[in-house]
Amino acid sequence: MRKPSNVILLLMTIFLGYLTLFPLLQMVKDTFTVHVSESIRLNKAPGEFTLSHWAKVLFDPSSLSIFYKPFLNSLATSLGACLVSLVFGGVFSWLVTRTNMRWKKILSTLFVFPYIMPSWTLALAWYNIFKNSVVGGVPGTIQAITGLEPPNWLAYGAFPIALVTGLHYAPFAYIMIGGILRNMDANLEEAAMMLKTSRKRIVYKITIPMIMPAILSTFLLVFSSAMSSFAVPTFLGLPVRYQVLTTQLYRTLNGINQGQGYCIAMLMILLSVAILAFNQRVVGTRKNYTTVTGKSSNISFINLKKGRNVISVIVLILVLIVSVLPLISFALESIILLPGDYSFDNMTLQFWIGTAEQNSIANNEPGLLKNPELWKALFNSLKLSLICALTAGTLGFLAGYGIVRGRGTKLAKLVDNLAFFPYLIPSMAFSVIYLSMFSTRHGIIPPLYGTFFLLVLIGTVKYMPFASRSGMNAMMQLSNQIEEAGEIIGVKWPKRMSRLVIPIQKSSFISGYLLPFTSCMRELSLFVLLVTPSNRVLTTLLFYYNEKGWNQYSNGINLMIVIIVLVINAVVNKITGASIDKGIGG
Amino acid sequence: MPKIELKNITKKFGDFTAVDNLSITIEDGDFVTLLGPSGCGKTTTLRQIAGLETPTSGEIIIDGKIVFSSEKMIDVSPSKRDVGFLFQNYALWPHMTVYQNIAFGLENLKWNKADIDKRVKELLALLKIEEFEARYPAEISGGQQQRVAIARTLATNPRVLLMDEPLSNLDAKLRMEMRTELKRLHRETGATFVYVTHDQLEAMTLATKICLLNNGLLQQYAPPLEVYSQPHNLFVADFVGSPQINLIHCSVVSIDDSIVLDSGIGRIQFAPRSPIELTKGSCVTVGIRPEYFTEAENGDGIFNAEVVSSLPSGMETTMKLKIGKEMVNSVHFGLVDYPVGEKIEIEDRSDKNLLFDTDGNLLSLGRIKIV
Repeated sequence: MRKPSNVILLLMTIFLGYLTLFPLLQMVKDTFTVHVSESIRLNKAPGEFTLSHWAKVLFDPSSLSIFYKPFLNSLATSLGACLVSLVFGGVFSWLVTRTNMRWKKILSTLFVFPYIMPSWTLALAWYNIFKNSVVGGVPGTIQAITGLEPPNWLAYGAFPIALVTGLHYAPFAYIMIGGILRNMDANLEEAAMMLKTSRKRIVYKITIPMIMPAILSTFLLVFSSAMSSFAVPTFLGLPVRYQVLTTQLYRTLNGINQGQGYCIAMLMILLSVAILAFNQRVVGTRKNYTTVTGKSSNISFINLKKGRNVISVIVLILVLIVSVLPLISFALESIILLPGDYSFDNMTLQFWIGTAEQNSIANNEPGLLKNPELWKALFNSLKLSLICALTAGTLGFLAGYGIVRGRGTKLAKLVDNLAFFPYLIPSMAFSVIYLSMFSTRHGIIPPLYGTFFLLVLIGTVKYMPFASRSGMNAMMQLSNQIEEAGEIIGVKWPKRMSRLVIPIQKSSFISGYLLPFTSCMRELSLFVLLVTPSNRVLTTLLFYYNEKGWNQYSNGINLMIVIIVLVINAVVNKITGASIDKGIGG
Repeated sequence: MPKIELKNITKKFGDFTAVDNLSITIEDGDFVTLLGPSGCGKTTTLRQIAGLETPTSGEIIIDGKIVFSSEKMIDVSPSKRDVGFLFQNYALWPHMTVYQNIAFGLENLKWNKADIDKRVKELLALLKIEEFEARYPAEISGGQQQRVAIARTLATNPRVLLMDEPLSNLDAKLRMEMRTELKRLHRETGATFVYVTHDQLEAMTLATKICLLNNGLLQQYAPPLEVYSQPHNLFVADFVGSPQINLIHCSVVSIDDSIVLDSGIGRIQFAPRSPIELTKGSCVTVGIRPEYFTEAENGDGIFNAEVVSSLPSGMETTMKLKIGKEMVNSVHFGLVDYPVGEKIEIEDRSDKNLLFDTDGNLLSLGRIKIV
């Protein structure tokens, strides 16, 4: 206990144990108890033990539509998304690190754009463009311009969900795979070349096996992110009643079958844990990859020769479509009076600056910039993101510090797992747990449902993995001796942290704050069940407008969120040198 | 049989010239070391021979076949140059076993399984690593990894073997062992070896010819003992030899019967092997190898020296001596030691002392004595 890191680890165990393990147990219990709304149908008093939730979800004729079908849909779209992001991001990272493609710098910057934007950005853009008459009257851009109606499979359901989710998470693949390719000793590939290996065989036999750990990590990240994505299937699935686990969860929990919702959430968590376990098993084999990195001397770029210009242009166009086109689409949709008509006469700024009286077609909702609801939501969003970033960033960094300093001990391992656990719990399931746990009085803790504090609490715990990972990375790079040198001349712990550790690892330290901030700004599924009209944030306001079908408003808000996040990122990056992609790793 | 010719090879990275108009011919069966301080262009030269790096201009001919020519727009890919390459960090593939690493090149040549197995077993025996064939690279020591890397390179029987500081990651004892091993391999395979190192001792002991580079420029290309005893210029003299050569700045006093020089160690007389031209008053440099100083036996031309430090190693004793105003290195063979501060008398009986002109180029070898 003489060491501060042990104190930190102990406090973290208590804090995280209470906020992650305990709720989990609570939820397990909830899958076996009768809830108020279910008591009449089940003919049992609330709080009594029942197996009917599990039976209904898993072993009933209706299980097919309650669980199995959404489950298979989730699985299909998530695997599809993994494939898309690995191919798109993988090929892109290979082009950037190994060939003489043009405009690498600008392309890399644009390529990670989607990661900074909300996950549904592309989905909404897709919806704007490919929407057909199924959703009722208003056609999308394609139909408006060409008169051709996009078929359902193209406009909604599995295909677009997998595609846009995959494109959105492609930056993961680029950052992870590109990172390894960049650091990987080029000699490994050159050695194969000297032994008369064909280019194709080098890729299959050397390059791909070497980046396998990165591929698996990307797979894990994209799969769990795609599984827990709620907004994308809402935009692209619901028009054709394509249900996935998250949308099903939202339905059951908002309806009268909460018990079933808890069961579904449980199953989602189990799936995530299984995938993580699988990942660790595969990576931790004899084929030790720690020798991968070496001094990456002069990599000689592969000359694309005649293909150089063609490939560069194709990549540029793809990246522009994914990163820039959505923004144009939002801006356009937010100024169109009658949806579907893209003529100049039909454009107006009234949805931005109009008064309530002018906007009679939208139930007299004032223009966004004159709308007190929007300003309140914006203020709430900023306040929430800022507080979450501060708490999650600080706690995460301390946790990372404790874990690295206490490496090898059981306590450190426990905290490491506890701090990473929230990452694996799908956001919606996580908020369900908190909903169930904090809706009633709990020992000395009053009911928190409907309070701003609950949002802060859940945001802090959910985003701690980002900060603790970047904290761990930073501490790993920092030799223990640096701190010991301070300790030996009698510098106390707070001063060692503030004068030695933090200044040296400044940029990862700031990344640890930046990630929770941006994640929080664009979070929907974590908050959508927990907010009440009084503490609405931008994303849930967007969701509200979308449900009402007021496209101009939801597009406008989306544009605002994207711009705010981009600007803040750029400013922080400029001032401190910290950037979002430095913090990824998990 | 392979002979490697480099003609006017220049390599630029942006504004930086890594290799500057280099022309050398490596004869068949040679063991050539590319030697020089870090950043002198030796690895770049090696990689250009292999085809891993493209020269900015010049021509490379291997075994009579032009593999690179900037004029004729020829650039044969590395896999078609028929050369083996040994990397500094071995570049063993961590996801393959020792056996798979060695067999990989043979699979590329579409050998059948039985032949591959026979050849791999042969190499495992040659390099004495039979017991590790099923292990992964991370599970064997650095020296063993080194052997696997050599086995992998030799498997396909390349007629030219290019090596980039292959021993620099080994400890001193292993390094000695591997040097002997490499010399044996060179003899047994009969291949042409080109070997990059920054360690002059390694270059001296291994090579049939040393190619010494500095700042991308060729300094000297000659057999090791010639480089040692007749360095072309001050840089070569200074770079080769440990402890370092003593370079003493002098001004020419007279050139009548013999050359008389004024220097920090006193007024000395230099007797060149062959007549040379010098102007009176010009600045020259005299180079004296540390082992040329010996304990004085007769009374003629003796230096009075003071022992500043003495480092006996058993076989020889390395000393720093103060002669006049200069500090010099001196090596005495055998079991000798001197207390610090002792005054001793030494002389230089060698006829291989060096005289460099104002620009640092070698003028002549000769004898020196104090006047």
